[in-house]
Formats: sequence, structure tokens, C-alpha cells
Amino acid sequence: MLIQESMDLKEKLGILADAAKYDVACTSSGSDRPNRPGTLGNTVAAGLCHSFAADGRCISLLKILFTNQCVYDCRYCINRRSNDVPRAAFTPEEVCRLTIEFYRRNYIEGLFLSSGVLYSPDYTMDLLYQTLWKLRYEYRFNGYIHVKAIPGADPVLIEQVGFLADRMSVNLELPTAEGLRNLAPSKTRTRILTPMRQIQRGIRSQQIQLLPRGGGETIFQDSIAYGGRSGQRQVVYGGEGQIRTRDFRSPGSGRNGSRRRFVPAGQSTQMIVGATPENDFQMLSVAEALYRNYDLKRVFYSAFVRVNDDSRLPVLPGGPPLLREHRLYQADWLLRFYGFQAGELLTEEKPNFNVFLDPKCDWALRHMELFPVEVQTADYNTLLRVPGVGVRSARRIAAARRSARLDFPDLKKMGVVLKRACYFITCSGRLMYPVKLDQDFITGQLVGEEKRKTWDIGDRNSYRQLSMFDDGFLAAAPTEEDVRSAALGQM
Amino acid sequence: MTIFTCSDTFEGILCGVYDAWMSRLGHDNVCLEIENTGNLRMFSEYRRAEETEDKFRKVTDAILRKAGQQVYEQVYCASLSCQPEKADMIYRYLIYALHFGRGVTDMLQIPAVYELFRLKRRVCNETMHLIEFIRFSQAGKGILAGIVNPENDVIVMMAPHFADRLRGENWVIYDDRRRKAAVHQAMGQWLMIQLPDDTWKERLVKSSDQETFEELWRTFYKHIAIEERRNPLCQRSHLPLKYRPYMTEFQQQAPGAAREDGLRK
Repeated sequence: MLIQESMDLKEKLGILADAAKYDVACTSSGSDRPNRPGTLGNTVAAGLCHSFAADGRCISLLKILFTNQCVYDCRYCINRRSNDVPRAAFTPEEVCRLTIEFYRRNYIEGLFLSSGVLYSPDYTMDLLYQTLWKLRYEYRFNGYIHVKAIPGADPVLIEQVGFLADRMSVNLELPTAEGLRNLAPSKTRTRILTPMRQIQRGIRSQQIQLLPRGGGETIFQDSIAYGGRSGQRQVVYGGEGQIRTRDFRSPGSGRNGSRRRFVPAGQSTQMIVGATPENDFQMLSVAEALYRNYDLKRVFYSAFVRVNDDSRLPVLPGGPPLLREHRLYQADWLLRFYGFQAGELLTEEKPNFNVFLDPKCDWALRHMELFPVEVQTADYNTLLRVPGVGVRSARRIAAARRSARLDFPDLKKMGVVLKRACYFITCSGRLMYPVKLDQDFITGQLVGEEKRKTWDIGDRNSYRQLSMFDDGFLAAAPTEEDVRSAALGQM
Repeated sequence: MTIFTCSDTFEGILCGVYDAWMSRLGHDNVCLEIENTGNLRMFSEYRRAEETEDKFRKVTDAILRKAGQQVYEQVYCASLSCQPEKADMIYRYLIYALHFGRGVTDMLQIPAVYELFRLKRRVCNETMHLIEFIRFSQAGKGILAGIVNPENDVIVMMAPHFADRLRGENWVIYDDRRRKAAVHQAMGQWLMIQLPDDTWKERLVKSSDQETFEELWRTFYKHIAIEERRNPLCQRSHLPLKYRPYMTEFQQQAPGAAREDGLRK
């Protein structure tokens, strides 16, 4: 492995941005921190997107790897050991300067720092720690920092980094242990889940400490006692067998004695979609378990892009499985904001999402016995389950109906998508159109409307012939059987 | 119909509201317009609303007392809009707001409330977009200069965000359309300036350096996109074309050089 020493910053940035782009997490949300005099920057709870790349993904953070050298040989990864790609590494100084100068010019919301594993997880994590410490205390940066926890790194290092970052993430990459064995032989499920658990405990024990009675440390005796430990720690340079001792300043306390919070924006993870034969139900169940058991803020899904020519990787002739990724995100939102559970959306017998319908419509069509609901009286959680009604519009409806009797045009003003909602709601006991509430009929209507959207996602780069007729509806020409199987999800 | 005209400022509109309301001609018989916009109407009498401190205070007091802070903020936002009908919309909205009180913000089923809600939403959305998309460049003597071209008069809404974020910097946000600027001094206050001519803009453009970090940013921008997922439609819906001429990553590298990828795509 060769690092070219003479490389200039521009080349390095190109290589290390290229190497980092397959990580999808690029949000800057979850942390709300005003500026403190003497520092640069603040963070906004909802996050800000500063630009959008040519692939339509938001650029919120300066997303780079510290180095793209790696001792691992994960088959899906562009930076694996056996790939012959140019390798580079930043110095902490360079990362800090780039972050500060980009931030001042309002190009970015902060830093997203990940890294290939150089020599050993400990060594790499230590490099990330040094970089973040420099950025926070020498460059006085107060913006957003998202950093990767390297699986296998010393828990003390992870804890230290956690006090400097806003969000941490460990990538699960593949939803099952088997997939991981197959494609990432040097990573194991436990090694990935250990730091995730540690970060979760850190966040939780801090929350408990914030309560008046305190006592977090007695509850989590097995975890590291957060906030208050300082001292020396040996960091082993795996590759060269050198040992170095590092003095940690008391964690969680800044120079001027102010306490820093541990990972205030929570942790996230990502899973690759379509590299292994797992079905949607497995993916979604894993995501649900992560939200429930590990208190994750976000699970990201990354459509598999075949960057390496490897016999164990699937060949996907249609390009990355973007529609599948889209459906998973839709379902993910349903889990987090709409009170759905994975078992309601998919089952063992029907393990994949309907290609023609979004998960919410699909669910509603299978539960026509619950509909239509009366807008004026249905409770908030029921409204949320109506296709075409989102969190905002449900809130607006709940607020507005206190003072008036709502009708369909009013609902439109509140942001309800009547094209979908009209089959599932009544206003003053009346449907919008006098249609028969028949599952097949509604499915046909909804599939026609959805068809055009999914076409745009699936076949982005081709053009559709202009037609005198609405071919988005006609080309589908679903037969009776298609309609039924779409409704029942037997694809 | 009696038409009251007022100046295109928050103060002006509220004074217009006061005059129209206190004329006691009935809400249906009066109308509020920004002066020198639109065409003259037949069979109507025009009256100019005089701006006084007293009227303005009376109206703001009434809004704050009867309808609360949120309504006041909404009206202020709406007054920054570029739509010429905004004065009348604010007037119609205030009729409901002063009647119903703070609950009025939820009553989207009322057309006047909905219209104002949309007006406000447009202004807020543009503010948010520009907070995200404004690009500063290093002008001489440690000044950061950002030029924007907003439809609505939003730089006054953007300034507090940057006053907090870039507290230790001297910066200028210049509105290319209205020749206005928000100016901030390091560790100090910010203020709005109305400029008589284009000399400021020329100076800001001239002294800005087309240098290393801008070039580095363009490099990063180009490399971060995944070719297999290219999707200009999605990019355009998130980042409308109208913002791009002012953004570093879409600008030319140097005069005469090949155009940057983003725009050509």
C-alpha cells in the first residue's frame, strides 16, 4: 500500500471524497446548539442542506475519509485492500483547515469523518480523535461533526470521540450475520454491535444523569462511567507493534470547564440494499429492532452499486435497486413517524414491498375494513394511517377541526393529497366521489397514479415518448389478475 | 370602493391597515394597495395612508395584545413578500386575527387565513433556501461577502442566522435585486443598509478572490456525486436553477475555462 507523499490537497480531496461517497448518511440534524463567543458556528435542530450533487443527494457535510487505506477486504467496498486504487491520507491539520474554510463560506454544515482502517482499529480511531480534538479546541469549531466509530476500537477511544462529535455511527452494512460473513469476512456482527451498544449506553446514562436523582453509573456498571474519567491509555499501533501512551483530558469537559455532551445528535447506521439475498421484511425487521433496542436516530439504506468486479457480488442489470431503496425509506418513515410496525407492512409470506404501490397504500388496501374514516372525528393516529395524509397535514386537520367543519377543499389546503386520500376518508359522512369502496377498483386507480412516479425512479435516465394519451395510466393496462396480485402483494 | 395606498414597508402596510379600518367605511368597501403597483381602477376613490409612528404602534399593540406574537411574526413575514396584493391580504387576515385571537393560525379553512399562510410560507421557504445556498467569498480585508438575488425581501430574515453562526466574522449579505445589504461587524451587531447605486456590488465582486478553497470546493462537489445514480431531475427539484448562478460550485473555474460540470449537465 502506497501513500503518495507529494500529492497536493486538491488531489487528496478528490480521492478521499470519491472514497467516502458510498456512505449515504449526510444529515446534520438532531443537535441544536447556539454559537458561543470565541467559536465558529452553531447547529440547527432540523439540519441544513447546503447543496445537491448531480445524483440529487444532499450535501450537508464535508464527507471525507481520513484515509482510504484499509486492512480489510470487504467485497462490496471500493477501498478494499485488494483493489488497485490510488491511496491517500489527510493530516489532521488539513482536515481542520478544509472544514473551517468551507464552513466560513457556508458551503457545509460541518464535517463527516470516516476512515479506512489503517494498521488497526485503535490506531485509526486515535487519528480521528486527534483530528476532532484539534478541530474543536484549536480551531474552535462549534458546528456539526458526524464521525464513524471504527468497530473493534478501544471503548475508551470511542467514548472520548463521542464527547467531541454530534453524531456517531457504526455501519451494519448487511442485515444478517450470514451476509456479513460472506462479503465482509473480517467484520463480525458482534464487533459492529459492541460499539453501537456502548454509544447507546453512553447516551442513556447521560440522560439519567441529567435527571435530578442521578445515579446513572450504578445502573450501567458494566459500561464505562461517563463523564469524569481521565488518565493515560495505551494505544497499540497494530501494524508496526509500536505502543504509545496517550493522555486523555477529562472527557466531557472543555478547556474553559464547560461540559460537553456525549453524542447529542444520537447515532445512526446504514445497510446496503441488494448486495445479499435478504428480503425487504428482513431488512425492515432489523431496522425496527435497531430503533427499538439500540435507540438509533436513523437507519440509512444504500442501494448497492457494483463498484468491484467480484464473483460473490450480484450483477444488477438495471443499475442500483433504487426503487427498492425508495420503498424501504418510505417504510422507515412509517415506522418512525406514523406508528406502524414492520409486521404490519410485511410478513413472512409476503416479504417484499409492492412495486406498484407505496407501503402505506398497500397496507390500507389490505385493511379496507378500517376505512373510510370520518375526518371530523377520527383521532390523530387514525388520520396518520390514511394514505395521502402526512404528519403535517394530520396536525393541521386536528388543529383546524376544533373551530370548523372541514370539507374536501379545506383538506386540500392543509396539504392532504386527495388523489390518494379520497377513497379512505369522509367529510361529514360523505365521500368525495360516489365510488364503490371496492378493493380492486381502488387498487387500479392508485396503481395508475403511482406508476408514473415509480417509472421516474426506476428508469431515470431514459426518456418517455410524448403521447397524446396518458400512457402513465394506459401502458400499465393491468389485467384483472395483476390488479389482484398487486393488491395482495403476490409479486 | 375606496382604495387606500401605502408604502411597501411593514410600517407602511400597518399604517394603511389602520387608515382603512378606522375610515369606518366597512371592510367590504375598502381595499389596501401598495402604491405605484398595478393599474388604477375605475369608480374608486384613492386615499394615501400617511405613515405615523402613532398609527403603527397602535396596530402592532393591537395585534400583539389580541392575537399574539405568532400572528405578528406571520404578518411581518408576509410583508416581505414580493406579491403586490400582499397589503390587502394582510388587511383581510387581520380582520380575522383580531376577531378570533391566537387560534386564527390554525383556521386554514378560512380563505383569508390560507392566503396569508401561503404568502408567509413562500417567504419562509425562500429564506431557508438562501440560508442554505448563499455562498460567501473572501473579499479583501477579512470580509466575507455573499450575493443573493431573492424574489422576496428576505435578507433581513437571513441575517440573524449568520449573526449567530459567523459571530466572529465581518460579513455582508448583498441583495442584488434591491441594492440592499445586511452588514455585520465581528463580535458586534448587524444592520440593514439601502444603497444608492451598484458601486458596492462592484467592489464586492472585484475584491473577492477566486482562490484555492473555491477550487477545492468545486473538486469536492464534482467527486461526491455517484455516477450510477445521476438524477438531474431530483437535483433540480431540490436546488432550483435560479439559485445556481450565485453558487460557487456552479460557477466557472476561471474566465475562459471550461464550464463546471454542474451547469452543463
